Amino acid sequence: MQSTLRRKDSLNFSMVYKVFGGVLFVYLFLGFMVIPCVNTLTSVFTAKDAAGNSDPLAVIRFFLAGSMPSFVWNSLKLAICLVITVNVVGISIVLLTEYFDIKGARILRLGYMTTLIYSGVALVTGYQFLYDSNGMITKYLAEMFPGINKQWFSGFEAVLFTMTFACTSNHALFLRNAIRGIDYNTVEAARNMGAKPFKVLMKVVMPTLLPTLFSLTVMTFITGLCAMSAPTLLGYNSINPEIVRLAGSTTADEAFPQARAALLSVILALFTIVLLLFLNHYEHKGHYLSVSKTKAKLVKQKIQNPVANVLAHIYAYVLFIVYMTPVVMIVVFSFQNWSAVRNKVLDFNGWTLSNYFGIENYSYTRSTGKISTRIGAISGVFSNEKTVGGIRLSFILSALAAALACVIVVIAVNYIFKHKNKKRAAVVEGCLLFPWLLPTILICYSFRIFFNNEVWYVFNQNLYYKENVRFLIVIAYAVVKLPFALRMVKASFYAIDEELTDAARNLGAGSLLTFLKVKLPIVLPSVLAVFALNFNALFTEYDMGATFQKSEGTTYAMVIQSMCNEEGRDGMNMNASGRRCASTVFIMLVSGLILYLVYGVGARDLSERLAIREKRKKRLQAIRSRLGVKSGGGGGNGE
Amino acid sequence: MIQLSDIVVKFGDFEALHNINVHVKEGEFFTFLGPSGCGKTTTLRTITGFIEPVGGTVRMQGKDITHVPIEKRNIGIVFQSYALFPTMTVHDNIAFGLKIKKLKKDEIERKVTSIARKVDLSDEQLKKAVSQLSGGQQQRVAIARALVTEPAIICMDEPLSNLDAKLRVQLRNELKKMQKDFGITTIYVTHDQEEALTLSDRIAVFNKGFIEQIGTPNEVYNASATEFVANFIGDINPLGDAITRAMGLSAAQNHFIRLERVRVNEPDTEGVYTADGVIESREYYGLYIKYYIQAAGQTIKVIEKNDGIRIYEAGEQVHVAVHPSDIMSYPRKEA
Repeated sequence: MQSTLRRKDSLNFSMVYKVFGGVLFVYLFLGFMVIPCVNTLTSVFTAKDAAGNSDPLAVIRFFLAGSMPSFVWNSLKLAICLVITVNVVGISIVLLTEYFDIKGARILRLGYMTTLIYSGVALVTGYQFLYDSNGMITKYLAEMFPGINKQWFSGFEAVLFTMTFACTSNHALFLRNAIRGIDYNTVEAARNMGAKPFKVLMKVVMPTLLPTLFSLTVMTFITGLCAMSAPTLLGYNSINPEIVRLAGSTTADEAFPQARAALLSVILALFTIVLLLFLNHYEHKGHYLSVSKTKAKLVKQKIQNPVANVLAHIYAYVLFIVYMTPVVMIVVFSFQNWSAVRNKVLDFNGWTLSNYFGIENYSYTRSTGKISTRIGAISGVFSNEKTVGGIRLSFILSALAAALACVIVVIAVNYIFKHKNKKRAAVVEGCLLFPWLLPTILICYSFRIFFNNEVWYVFNQNLYYKENVRFLIVIAYAVVKLPFALRMVKASFYAIDEELTDAARNLGAGSLLTFLKVKLPIVLPSVLAVFALNFNALFTEYDMGATFQKSEGTTYAMVIQSMCNEEGRDGMNMNASGRRCASTVFIMLVSGLILYLVYGVGARDLSERLAIREKRKKRLQAIRSRLGVKSGGGGGNGE
Repeated sequence: MIQLSDIVVKFGDFEALHNINVHVKEGEFFTFLGPSGCGKTTTLRTITGFIEPVGGTVRMQGKDITHVPIEKRNIGIVFQSYALFPTMTVHDNIAFGLKIKKLKKDEIERKVTSIARKVDLSDEQLKKAVSQLSGGQQQRVAIARALVTEPAIICMDEPLSNLDAKLRVQLRNELKKMQKDFGITTIYVTHDQEEALTLSDRIAVFNKGFIEQIGTPNEVYNASATEFVANFIGDINPLGDAITRAMGLSAAQNHFIRLERVRVNEPDTEGVYTADGVIESREYYGLYIKYYIQAAGQTIKVIEKNDGIRIYEAGEQVHVAVHPSDIMSYPRKEA
C-alpha cells in the first residue's frame, strides 16, 4: 500500500515535470523558431507602397523588375560550379590518398585535411593574403608572367577557387570512410574476371561511393547557395551578403529593404527545402551495403602506366602545395614583424612574437619632420583589447550555445527514445530538425528583424538592443546547431542497450538516476564531441556574426574581418595583418586541439582509459622508486 | 514461492499471454521453454515487473506483487546481453544496486568482495572494465550483480544465447553448480531444449501464449502432453498410414516415434512392427549416427549410437522395428 502511495506521489510530481517540460518546449519552438520565421515570410506580402498602402505583390514585382534575380542567379552559378570543382578536387584527394598507391600518401593526406582546422573567415583572409593583387603568390606569378591580371583574385573566380578548397573537408572525412568500407574482395573478383584497373574503378569502386557522393553533392550545392564569408570578403554579389546588406538598410535609402531581404531568404529556404527533401528521398532508397561477412581491407592500387603514374604524382603534389601554402605562409608570417607582413616579403631578421603577445609603440616621422609616437600601435592577439574582446565574446557565446544545444538535445532524445514509436516523439524530433530545413541566414535575419522590437513573450524586451544581442546570438547559435546535435546524439543513444535501463530499474534506480548513472555516461563522449564540434564551428563562425553585427555583438570572426581595415592609418594598428595571421594560427591550434580531444581522447572507452591510468601509475611508481634509490644512494655516499 | 494465477497480458489488441498459471517452488530451477514469440519472456517480464498484466495475479512468498514497482520486488535478473554497464568497472557494476540502497561504504565493499569470491572473480578482475572480461567472466559478473542485493529469486533471460556452442556447454554447467551452491529459486528462459533439459528441475513449455505442459525434463520428453511438446522437444518421426494401419492405431490420432526408439536390424519380436527398408543417407555426428531410411512408404529418421562396429552405408538393406509402447499419440487437429 505504502509503495503504491509513494508511486502515486511520484506520478504527480512527474506529471508536473512533464507539463512544465512540454510547455517550455512549445514556448521555445514557437517563440524562437516558428514565429520569427513566419514573421519574415509574412513581411514579404505586407510591404507598403509609397502611399502607405499594403501591396502584397509589391516586393515580388520589384524582384522581377529589378536586379534582384541576378543575386539568385549568382548564387546558383556559384553552387553549380562549386559542385563540379569540389567533387573533382574532393574525389581526387580521396582517390590519391586512399585508392591509388601514391608515394607519401600520409603526408599528402595531412595536407589535404588542413581545411578541417583552417576554414571559414580565417581561410578566406589567408587566401586573400596570398592571392590578392599584392599577395605573395600573385606577385611571384606576375614576375614570372608579366602579362597576368594581378586583380584576378576577386569576384566569382576568387570565391570559386577559395571555396573549392575550403569545402573538401566533408569529402576528406565521409568519402574516405566510404572508400575504406569497400570490400577488397570485390575488386579482386572484378580483376579476376578480366576487368582492367580503370574499369574496376569506374564499375566497381565508384558505384559504391555514389550514395555518399550524392549526399556530398547536395550539401556542397547548399553550401554554395548559402555562401557568406567568401562572397562578402572577396566581393561577389550573391544572396547572403545582399540579405545582410538589406537587413542593415532603411527605407530612406531604398525601397522596402527588409521585405526584399525576407524574400531572398525565403527563396533560399525554398531551394534548401527542395534539395533536402530530394536528398532525404534518395537516402530512403537505401545504400549499397557490403554483404560480405569477412570483409577484406582495401589494398592500394598501383598505377601501371608509368606516364599516368608520374602525372598522378604531379597532380597529387600540386594539390598538396595549394592546400599547404596558405597554412605554412600564415604560420611563418605570424612570426614576422609588421613591415615584413605588410610588404609580404620574408625578412629573415624580422622574427617576432609581437603578433601574439605584448604591446609596442610605433614611432614615425610626420610630413612636418616631427617624430611622432603612437602608443600601443603594435599589439599581439592576446594583448589587443579588441581582439581579446572578440575572442572572449566568441568563446563565451559559443560555449553557452553549444552547451544549450547539447542539453536540449540530450533531454529531447532521452524523451524520444522513451516514447519511441509514439507520435509525440516524432513531433519532438521534427521540431528539433526544423532549423535544418531553413538556411542559417533566414533564421538569423528573422531573429534580427523580429526581435528588434519589444516582444511580449520575452518580457517586452528588445533582444537586438545593446547587450541583449548577445542573448539573441546564443539562441540563434543553439537553434542552428540543434539538427546536427540531434542526429549525432540520437545515433549515440542507439548504442544504449534497452536491457541496461531495465537492469538499472531492476536494481532500484529511478528514471533520473538511470539517466544520470547509466545512459548519460554511455552517451557522454558523443555529447562532448558534439559540444566540441559545435563550439569549434561557432567560435569562428562568420555568417551569423555578420548578420547580428553591432558593437555589443562583435564576434571573433568579425574582429578578424575588420582587423586590417585601418591598418597603419595615422600610425595606428600597425601589425593588424600580422595579428590576423597569428589569429589564424590560434584558431588552427584551438581546432586541432578540439579534434584531438574529440577523436583522440574522447573516443577511448573505459578499458582504454583504465589501461592508460594503469600505465601512468606504473610510470609514476618507477620514477618514485628510481628517486628513492638515488636519494638512498646519496645518503650512503654521505656516510 | 512464485505463483502466477490466470495471467493475461495484452499489447494493444494482441493478447500475448492467455491465462497463464505457474507455481514455482522454493529453491527450484524452473525453465520457461518455447520458440520465439511464444510468451516465455513476456511471462518473465511480468514476474519481474517490466510488464503489468491486464488480468491475473503474481504472488511471491504469498504476497500479491502484481502492481508492485520493479525495484521493490526483490528479484534479481540476469539479462540476455548481461546488461553490464559499460562505463563502470566490474566492481562498480556489482556495487550499483547496493549504492542505490544507500548502504554504507564498508558494507558495500564487504558484500561485493564476498559475492565476487563466490562467483570466482578475483580482486584484479574487479578493477577491470567489463569489456576486458571474457564471455564467461561477464556472465559471472551479471550473476554476482543480480545476487549481491540478496534477492528472493533470480530470473535469467536466455543468458547463454549469445555465446558459442562450446562456451555455452561450459557455462551451463557452471550456472547449474552456482544455483545449487546458492540454493536460490531460479526462473530461466530459453528456446534451447537441450539447455532446458540439462539445467531444469521442472520445465514449462510455452506455445502461442499458452503453457502446453509443466513437468520434469523426463516427463516433458518421454511423456509429452501435446503434439507440440513432442515436436518441440527432441526430434520425432510422424508415422505414415502404412505403419499406423499395420499396427492398428487409431485413425483419429496422429502418431509419432522418437528417433532413438526406432530399432534397426533388431531380431523380430512378437507384437513389434517391422518393415524392410534401405538406407537413403547418413549423417555422422561422432557420438551417434543419424540415418534416413526409406521404409513402409515413408522416410524414417533413426539415431544409432556410434559403437564403431555397426555402421550402415547408403543403399544398404535394413529392417526397422517399432515397439507399440514407444508410440506417442495425440488427437488429430482439425485443419
